Amino acid sequence: MADIVMKGVSRDYGHGIYGVRDADLEIRDGEFMCFLGPSGCGKSTTLRMIAGLEDITSGSLSIGGRDMTHTRPRDRNIAVVFQTYALYPHMSVRDNIGFGMKMRGVGRRERDARIVAAADKLGLTKYLDRKPAALSGGQRQRVALGRAMVREPDVFLMDEPLSNLDATLRAEMRLELVRLHREHGKTTVFVTHDQVEAMTMGDRICILRDGHIMQVGRPLEVYDNPVNIFVARFLSSPPMNILPATLAEGRINTEIASFDLAAAQKQAYAAARNRPLTLGVRAEDFYAEPGIGRVAVRGRLQVIEALGAENILFLDIEGQQIAARVDRRFLPETGADVVLHLDTAAIHLFDAETETAFARPDPESLRA
Amino acid sequence: MSRASLLRHAALVAICLVVALPIFWLLRTSLVPPELSYDPRIWPEFSTENYRTLFAGNGFGRNYLNSIIVALGSVLLATPLAALTGYAFARFRTGGKAARFAVLATQMLPPVALALPTFMIYRELGLTNSLTGLVIVYAVVNLPFLTWILMGFFEGIPADLEEAAITDGATNWQAFLLVVLPVARPGIAAAVVLGFILAWNEFLFALILSGPSTATVPVALAALQTSNGVEIGKVAAGVALAIVPLMVVSRFIQKYLVRGLSFGGVS
Repeated sequence: MADIVMKGVSRDYGHGIYGVRDADLEIRDGEFMCFLGPSGCGKSTTLRMIAGLEDITSGSLSIGGRDMTHTRPRDRNIAVVFQTYALYPHMSVRDNIGFGMKMRGVGRRERDARIVAAADKLGLTKYLDRKPAALSGGQRQRVALGRAMVREPDVFLMDEPLSNLDATLRAEMRLELVRLHREHGKTTVFVTHDQVEAMTMGDRICILRDGHIMQVGRPLEVYDNPVNIFVARFLSSPPMNILPATLAEGRINTEIASFDLAAAQKQAYAAARNRPLTLGVRAEDFYAEPGIGRVAVRGRLQVIEALGAENILFLDIEGQQIAARVDRRFLPETGADVVLHLDTAAIHLFDAETETAFARPDPESLRA
Repeated sequence: MSRASLLRHAALVAICLVVALPIFWLLRTSLVPPELSYDPRIWPEFSTENYRTLFAGNGFGRNYLNSIIVALGSVLLATPLAALTGYAFARFRTGGKAARFAVLATQMLPPVALALPTFMIYRELGLTNSLTGLVIVYAVVNLPFLTWILMGFFEGIPADLEEAAITDGATNWQAFLLVVLPVARPGIAAAVVLGFILAWNEFLFALILSGPSTATVPVALAALQTSNGVEIGKVAAGVALAIVPLMVVSRFIQKYLVRGLSFGGVS
């Protein structure tokens, strides 16, 4: 059992500066948890506090039911994979992988056997006697993984381990990490600023901003029900479109369109009436074709990014900048007037002042 | 060869001559009979008399050995201390910026301001005219400088490396000894060479603190300026010999020295 429980954890740097403030989080045994957020949001600090590399100035941390708030890193039985890989440059791959076992007094014979097994699993057998400088980025990454794996720790902590790899290799390692996690089933904390990594790898994701945890949940849950505008925008690329809006007599009014809400929406958004609101629409909730529950919006196409599988349109609609993700066959000319159809069932509503979301009804139930 | 390249080579040859000429003249003066030292001819006559009298009459061998003992001893004493101090400054908030500069305080005084009090203290302790005394004083005087060199070096080593070692189960000491020190090897080599050179060339402390049996090479060379004039032939021979260990050391360690002074890092 290696669940991680953080209660009111803070990292106070003094002078009122906090790396992380009052973080409450429970990471379940065997779970793959992604910390997601922009740089400086405290995700790495949180990971480092779990590792014991950063002091916890208040609150408590337990791993596997044991209090670890002030335990030394070496006594936590965790393994860290660093963004820079942090391979020991003067040691061979073999010694790099074996270093942790050596420190923990594992006998030579067993050490060698485990090194060979890990190298085999990661395709490093040929490189065991090389120095890290003689390896490619992807191979170094694998050595760093191997070094973490052979120790058989309770918890894996990974600090942006894929960000130094090129795009192809990153996608490959993403799959490999998920596969390895499924095999060993160990609790894993993975820090990233890339929402694709978080969405695709995490059992759950934890989104941070300015040292505070914004939302924790399963990737699609969070994507469908972001608690505030920050989460809503951060989780997608292009970010969710947001527009000033009002709600009166069951009708949403914005610069780009006005439309009636469905009965379930009226009920759900009762608290939002007659307040300054922000309407959120994801890029994929615009369509080229009309349909039930869709309302037409008209604008001028400024830029089109044809990605092959789909097209991203950037439009100016009544002075509002709107990004829309549409079918690859819909390819209007730049500068043309374009009509798109907004799926009103898929909208998000936020309080304009607090930026928090109003709970929304399930779009699928509206369409039924 | 093109004109430009010819010019370039001519310039390089000229510069080489400027550098090499004094060394050549030094060797030439040391290897002619003493009475021909000031002779304008390039090499009138070959003689090893200067060397022979330097060793036989002046006991230069003793001085040479003293210098080696003192320079090696002080560097062996100072470098580990400097490594620990530099590492502490580089990695931990030891005393803050103030302490970093405070260790340089002794370097900001004119050396003679330290030499005289040191002499008084040494007299009380009975350390004057002893090699031990010189080893200690050189180690102490060079410590701040070596600390700063190594501090810069340790700062260039990513902290990730030690953190990886610590999470791998190493203690702070093990991380330092097994990971940081090997990675910092070029910097340590640079510090050793520079510390050796500083101690080898030091004159003032040696003059004040040493006695007849413990005089180092610089003191012995200075003593050749006698009331009967400067014995330039012997001086030249002594200086020629004094250069040798420096040439050997820097040659041997050149690749480290260059990396050590310019990069200060790894990766």
